[in-house]
Amino acid sequence: MNAIEIKNLSKNFGPKQAVCGLDMTVPMGAIYGFIGENGSGKSTTQKMICGLIPISGGSVRLYGKDHTDEGVRARVGGLIEAPGCFPGLTVWDNMMLQAANLSIPNAEEEVIKVLKMVRMEGAAGNKFKNCSLGMKQRVGIAMALLGEPSLLVLDEPLNGLDADGMRIMREVFTDIVKDGTRSILVSSHLLGELQKVATHYGIIRHGKMIAQMTAQELDASCRTYIALKAEEMKKAKNLLGCSYSRVETDEAGFLRVYDQTTAEAVVTYLYENGVIVTEIMTDKIGLEEYYTDLMKGGK
Amino acid sequence: MENRFPKYSFAKRLHSMLKVDFRRLGKSRLFYSLLACALLIPIVMTVMLTMMDGSVSVDPQTGAETVIHGPESIWQSIGTLPSGETAAPMGSMDVMAMCNINMMFMLVAVFVCLFVSDDFRSGYAKNLFTVRAKKGEYIVSKTLAGFVCGGGMLILYFVGGVLGGLICGLSADLGVLTVGNLVMCICAKVCLMLVFVSIFVLISVAAKQKAWASICGSLGGGMLLFMTVPMITPLNSTILHVLLCLAGGVLFAVGMGVAAKTVLKKTSLV
Repeated sequence: MNAIEIKNLSKNFGPKQAVCGLDMTVPMGAIYGFIGENGSGKSTTQKMICGLIPISGGSVRLYGKDHTDEGVRARVGGLIEAPGCFPGLTVWDNMMLQAANLSIPNAEEEVIKVLKMVRMEGAAGNKFKNCSLGMKQRVGIAMALLGEPSLLVLDEPLNGLDADGMRIMREVFTDIVKDGTRSILVSSHLLGELQKVATHYGIIRHGKMIAQMTAQELDASCRTYIALKAEEMKKAKNLLGCSYSRVETDEAGFLRVYDQTTAEAVVTYLYENGVIVTEIMTDKIGLEEYYTDLMKGGK
Repeated sequence: MENRFPKYSFAKRLHSMLKVDFRRLGKSRLFYSLLACALLIPIVMTVMLTMMDGSVSVDPQTGAETVIHGPESIWQSIGTLPSGETAAPMGSMDVMAMCNINMMFMLVAVFVCLFVSDDFRSGYAKNLFTVRAKKGEYIVSKTLAGFVCGGGMLILYFVGGVLGGLICGLSADLGVLTVGNLVMCICAKVCLMLVFVSIFVLISVAAKQKAWASICGSLGGGMLLFMTVPMITPLNSTILHVLLCLAGGVLFAVGMGVAAKTVLKKTSLV
C-alpha cells in the first residue's frame, strides 16, 4: 500500500490551471522530496492532499483511502507555507491547542516530547510572535509531529533554519520513517539538504510531474564527470572542446568533461597537445545539477 | 505493522473542537474586554444620563430645544417599561430607549468575527482542517463560543444596569411586572442571541481572514433583525417568549450552520 497515491489531479483557479493531470506515488516509509520551481504547483498539491483546498479533478488517496476520509485525515500532520500559530499565545499554549485539536490523551507529555525533538523545550514560554523565523519553523514542525501522524506533509520546512536546525530536522525525519509505516512528503528549494534525507523524488513543472524516481535511480542516472584545472585553461578548453561533446567551466573554475571517458585519457590527450594538468578528479552531478539540467530540458 | 485509522463520532470530534475554542476563549483578551464593556457600559450610561436628566440641548441652526430624559427606573437599561407610553414625547430624548441591553446583540458581532477570522489570519485553520475532514463540529463550536460570549455579555449588562441604578438611587419598582417577567426577558434575549451568533458565524466563515468584511457584513446583517429584538423580548416576557426565541435560535443555528458548513466545504481554507 502507498502512503499517497495521486492520479490525474488537477486544480484550476479561475482560468489558470495550477495543477494539471498530476500523478504521484509516495510509498510507505518514504521521505519523498517534492521539487519544482516557484509557482510550479507544489504547495497547491500539498494543500489538496491536506484537504485545505477543493480539488478540480482526479483523485488523492492516502493509505488506500480517499483523502476526505476522516480516519486517515486525523493521522496527517502538516506544515503548509508557514506555521499556523496564534501570535499572541505562547509556544506552549499553541502546542496545547493543537494537542486538544488532536484529542491527545497525555497532551503535556506529548508536547514536551515533540518540543524536545526539535530542541525548542527551552522556548516553550515565549510568545510565538517573539520567536525568530527559525524558531517559528521548528514550532511548526513540532506541531506537525504531534500525535505521531502516519503522514507528514511539509512545505518548505527547512526555510529559516540554521545549519544545526537542518541537521536536527534530518535526524527527526530519518527517525520518523525508520519503522517503515510512516511517510514524509517534503518540498524544499534546498536541494542539497533534501538529497541528504530523501528516499524518493518527484519533480513538478507547470503543474505536471515530469520525473519520479528513487534515490538509487537518481544516483544511477546522474552522470559522472571529470573536473580539471590546467596551466593554460583557455587552450585546454579549446582542445577538449574539439575532442569531447560537452565541456563546461564550473563556478569554481574547473573544466568539466561530461563525456564517457577516463581521467587518464584526458590527461594524456592534453599532455600530448602541450597542456599540463595541475588538478583532476572524477565526480557525479548532484540533485541540484540534475534538477537544473532537467529544467533546461537536458539530462 | 499495519496503519490503523479509526473514525471518531461527531460527539468526540465536537468535544475536541470545543476544547480548542474554549481554551482560546479563556486566553482571549477580546473576550474579557467585551465582558468588561458589557458590565461597565450600563453603569456609565445610567450615571451619565441621571446627571444629565432635565438638561436641554439647543440646535444651533433651528433653535429647537430638546430635553434629555434620564432613567427613572433600574429596569430601563433592560427595556422600556410598559407604562402605556410607547415613545418619548415631542421635544424630548429618551437615550435609554435607544441604547440599552439590545446593543449587545451587535457588539457580539465584533467578537464572533474576530474569533473566526483569527483562525484564518494566524493560519491555525490549516492545523484544524488538515486533521478534520468534516467541518460540522467547527461551526457548532464557533457558534457555541459566540453564544457563551453573547450570553455572558447580556447577563453582565443586566448586572451592570442594576448596579448603575443602585448607584444612582433609581427606583427598583417593577410596577405591573414581576421578577419572573424580568428573568424570562433575559432568558429570551439569551436564546435570541443564538440567532444573531449563527448569522455572524456564517458571515465570518464566508469572509475568512477578512475581518473587516465580516464585521461590516455582520453589523449590516444584524441590523436587519435588530429592530425586532425589543418586540420579541419585551420586559413583560413570558415563557412563550422564551420558547419562541429558543425555537428561532435553534432553527437559525441549524440553517446557518448547514450553510456555513457548505461554504467551508466548497471554498479554500487557506
